[in-house]
Amino acid sequence: MKIGKVEVKVSIIAIAVFVFFTILLLIASVYSPDVRSQLIWLIPGLFMLLVIPIALNYMSRSEYADLEPLYEAQSKTVRIKMINAGMVGKAVRIEGVVEQVHFQFLNRPQYTVADRSGAISVKMFTTPNEDVKVNDVVEVLGQVIQRYIVTGDPVVNCISIRKIIKRQE
Amino acid sequence: MTIADNPPQLDRINERYLEIAIPVASFGATLAGILLWKMGFEINFQFFAIGCVIGSCLLAYLAWIRPKKDIVGLSTPIYAIIFFVVPTEYTVGVTLQLLYAVSLTILLIRLKYRFGKPGDAASMGKELADPIKTYIEQTSGSFTGICPETAHDAAVVFVQFTHGEYKEAVRRAGTAAIGQMGDVEHAATVVRAFNILKEHSALIDKSLPRPVTYEVFRPEESALLAKPYLPAYDDDHEFYAMLDNALLLLFSIAWNNSKADRPHLLACQAFVLKLLGK
Repeated sequence: MKIGKVEVKVSIIAIAVFVFFTILLLIASVYSPDVRSQLIWLIPGLFMLLVIPIALNYMSRSEYADLEPLYEAQSKTVRIKMINAGMVGKAVRIEGVVEQVHFQFLNRPQYTVADRSGAISVKMFTTPNEDVKVNDVVEVLGQVIQRYIVTGDPVVNCISIRKIIKRQE
Repeated sequence: MTIADNPPQLDRINERYLEIAIPVASFGATLAGILLWKMGFEINFQFFAIGCVIGSCLLAYLAWIRPKKDIVGLSTPIYAIIFFVVPTEYTVGVTLQLLYAVSLTILLIRLKYRFGKPGDAASMGKELADPIKTYIEQTSGSFTGICPETAHDAAVVFVQFTHGEYKEAVRRAGTAAIGQMGDVEHAATVVRAFNILKEHSALIDKSLPRPVTYEVFRPEESALLAKPYLPAYDDDHEFYAMLDNALLLLFSIAWNNSKADRPHLLACQAFVLKLLGK
């Protein structure tokens, strides 16, 4: 779904929650007159289960879209091996092959990206513009952060991930 | 006493006591509570949750001292407070506390087998790891006459590069390379290391690709390098091996000749280990 220039994607979890409560409401309204009398509030409430995730996704994606040109200008192209705890807060650009993809269904994908020098975890807190899969060669723009904010190994907080070569089989 | 002051064996014994203390405290306090109730002392059962809270704190500590952090272990004290802050009656309290104690024990086993051993002095940044020590000892005799200013420059350039401050590293390496080397046998190698670092920092700062021609160490200098050039290397591999060698060489020079900079260098040792391929 497109709102303005922003492509909005709702996670499968949000859809599942909406479907679950829709079915629950249908069943309850068939059997209970009390529920039927409250439908004027329950139906808008039900739709809020979809509207809120859509709104959050729209806001985060438009925020990331605004940040992308800044990172494009400021990021230094580094090999993955060069990324270390001392670089926390620095904007980096890395290129590599996607080795693993996790949590895509939550709209919070985590990738493991590797180049010839090493591998690093790339975390994204919104949906990417492109559907990135294992073995895609990608360019990542992001900021070096610690895995658990104040501790943990350095990872890349991804602002943008885009395929530069399609899947390597 | 710091971790570095403890002999490793003593650390292992302390760790073993802490591991045993987790199930002992969490099960023990609840079982003591059950016993007191059976004897007729009907004290508020919520108080016996203190064992679970202590067990959670110990688990969080064991998770904290490992180089690989376990977020589940670290967050158990928060869950202990959430679960046990509300007063409960006897049956609910016993069930909750026993289930919580079982969970802590499972998490302890998980921590031991999935998150490795607690960090030693090297991984905690208190002293140098063995592979770095070996390289530093190997090169220590070669740069003894180097002047303290150059050694300090080596430390600053190394730390700037590690922290991604490439523009500053270019400037400092350029100044250091034309500065006083002192009475050093391998002065040309030191200058080359600064120049290689300067060239790479400039390229990274401008996000430029590998140039066709670039500064390299001479074959006769390979005895001083941590990663000698191999004929099997392609151009890319050789180019980046030169950077790794320059960084490691400057680290060694700084460590051996600028003692005041050692704490800053120690803080970067995880990166040095990566450069060494460890």
